[in-house]
Amino acid sequence: MRLWLAIQSFFQVLFNRDFAAGVKQLQLAAPAAEPAQAEPAKPEPPKPQPPKPQPPVRSEAITLLATLQREARFVDIVSESLDGYSDAQIGAAARDVLRDCGKVIERMFALQPFAAKTEGEQIEVPAGYDAAEFRLTGNVSAQPPVTGELVHAGWKATKCEVPKWSGSKQAALVVAPAEVQVG
Amino acid sequence: MTAKYVVGIDLGTTNCVLAFAPLEGDAPQVQLLQVPQLVAASTVDSRQSLPSFLYLAPEHEAGGALDLPWAQGRKFSTGEHARRQGAEMPDRTVVAAKSWLCHSRVDRRAPLLPYNAPSDVGKVSPLTASQRYLEHLAAAWQAEYPDAPLAEQQVVLTVPASFDAAARELTREAALAAGLPASLVLLEEPQAAVYSWLAERGDDWRKELKAGDRVLVCDIGGGTTDLTLVDVAEVDGELALERLAVGDHLLVGGDNMDLALAHQVAGLFAEQGVKLDAWQSVSLWHSCRDAKETLLAPEAPESHSISVLGRGSKLIGGTVSVDVPRAMATELLVGGFFPECTLADRPEKRRVSGFQEIGLPFESDVAITRHLAAFLAAHADDGQGAAYPTHVLFNGGVFKANLLRSLVLEIIGKWAGDAPPAAELPGGRDLDNAVARGAAFYGWTKDHGGVRIRGGVARSYYVGIESAGLAIPGMPRPMRALCVVPFGMEEGTSVDVPSGEIGLVLGEPAHFRFFSSAVRNGDQPGDVLPTIDEEELTETDPLEATLESTADTEDSYVPVRFQSQITELGMFELWCVSTTSDERWKLEFNVREA
Repeated sequence: MRLWLAIQSFFQVLFNRDFAAGVKQLQLAAPAAEPAQAEPAKPEPPKPQPPKPQPPVRSEAITLLATLQREARFVDIVSESLDGYSDAQIGAAARDVLRDCGKVIERMFALQPFAAKTEGEQIEVPAGYDAAEFRLTGNVSAQPPVTGELVHAGWKATKCEVPKWSGSKQAALVVAPAEVQVG
Repeated sequence: MTAKYVVGIDLGTTNCVLAFAPLEGDAPQVQLLQVPQLVAASTVDSRQSLPSFLYLAPEHEAGGALDLPWAQGRKFSTGEHARRQGAEMPDRTVVAAKSWLCHSRVDRRAPLLPYNAPSDVGKVSPLTASQRYLEHLAAAWQAEYPDAPLAEQQVVLTVPASFDAAARELTREAALAAGLPASLVLLEEPQAAVYSWLAERGDDWRKELKAGDRVLVCDIGGGTTDLTLVDVAEVDGELALERLAVGDHLLVGGDNMDLALAHQVAGLFAEQGVKLDAWQSVSLWHSCRDAKETLLAPEAPESHSISVLGRGSKLIGGTVSVDVPRAMATELLVGGFFPECTLADRPEKRRVSGFQEIGLPFESDVAITRHLAAFLAAHADDGQGAAYPTHVLFNGGVFKANLLRSLVLEIIGKWAGDAPPAAELPGGRDLDNAVARGAAFYGWTKDHGGVRIRGGVARSYYVGIESAGLAIPGMPRPMRALCVVPFGMEEGTSVDVPSGEIGLVLGEPAHFRFFSSAVRNGDQPGDVLPTIDEEELTETDPLEATLESTADTEDSYVPVRFQSQITELGMFELWCVSTTSDERWKLEFNVREA
């Protein structure tokens, strides 16, 4: 009888997917008959994840822009058409905006000139320099180390402290809220 | 106690600063804590100071927008965001809580702020507002140094020198409620400024000052002016510093100056037909602060352009600007706040009508030079002339305007006549943060040893005693004042006040009127002033105690004498000591009395 069952099972396994799965279960279950110590604790079936609050989703670039707008009205001034305004009018507005932009950038990045020399002086560019640190112009075929005139000292951030934002996903792209005077 | 750091906190009228230094090491390394705070809805950024503003949000606004990394579901904000909100929503923003804390005509535990706010705003007490600022600083500290809880560090909190015993008590109460340690030490702000100078100079200060010198500390903050004199003496061959006198609490400061200039400039705009709204007025106020520094600099331009940006997103079209001539600014600021005056001049007092509003008692005379004349004259060595300083230490952001520093020096020089003119103490200054830095340095020297300013209490204190005699119906009995604490009484000492026995009824509240004086430096405990001269004595909060007897006694009243005590932490205590048993009762300030 076992022979017949074996043959029957062989073809069932071969052609019946459900049956095969059942047999596989049986085989897997088999060790359960063994002494229990070999059986690792059965992992809990994975529970459906509780809806986690979405982590703040906002690019730091938006936060930087929002700060420049909030503290210096930067977005307002660059978004406005200059047509029809006199230079004096533009200057009056720009003076405040530029001053306040400067304060924000100083606070967040504490910028310093990259090169320690005064512009106009001679400066040496080391061999194996990083092209992101020095941009060479003129006779660039000379092999570094080379010496040349410092045209622009460059800028370097000594820190990068952008405010942390914790608002909703819906508001992630808002650079400045609409202002509404009630009553 | 496992203190790793000493922490100095400047709880200012408009800004709070926290400085700290590790206790280990041979020299104090004082740094400032960067304080994370809300700068806009849902936006947290760090700043070197926490503006002392508290914004109370309407219910619909909160929704997580006012959260901090350490606090969710907030319905209020403190710091930069609150300061900005305050501009357009004064009804919902608490300002100058500290000035209310020493205003003895109101109950400082009652929810009164924002003052005059509509009924739907959940007001807070001056005490709670101060507690919120300190809680914020404590949480910011905790976030940065989770291994060194603030409650276990050595904390020094500064108070104006002019704060009386009741205001100091309230400040301490707010601090303890905010989780600061009970070992908290209170330090006078002008003294902290001196400590900051000492920290910066190192041992060189001994070359810059000599015995017999006298330093005037002129500390003009955002909302208050605090004056102090410190004498240099030689004790056992070493230079020692002693605080000679402190001034009254003056509610006039740098903000008054900026506001005065802004008011004038708003007039110039009005001439052009431009009316400014609330937001523009505030931005004008800030522009005027910069303008003040520019126009009062050594080589100031003849005029300075002030612009107010348009309100909507059309910025350039809406921008208006005026030229503010230097002469106008100088006349207004110098003429108004630092007018030339003689040593005999006194601040003008405006006689108020019976119906005075209960708001903050701002100075009716904003001329700081006249207050200075009164202060120096009140502390003359021999009752004549004045206590001329040989040196001046300036503190507060106002003195970023160089002209004001030289002006004060010049005026004092004129008063002193032939004496050598007073000089500014040398060295660079961190005018905005010196008080917090000095407090941290003071804490460090307390632990490691170093030069200390001696001085004890800054004023003498008196209990009002009704005089005996025939009562006249409808007339209060005349009051006499019994001195219970002499000027300069040192920390950690107590004194039994010699006096006749005072009978107190057991089981009933005993109630004493209480006075202080910053000018009667010679009175000794037990001295009785026959009348109360309002020019010399200031009434502060009354003292109370309910005398419950534990002794087995049939008597319904108990004869007592006073014993006063200044604790090691600088707190004042007054006790009623029974003359017939071992019992004694502590009197507490009643700050509810209006």
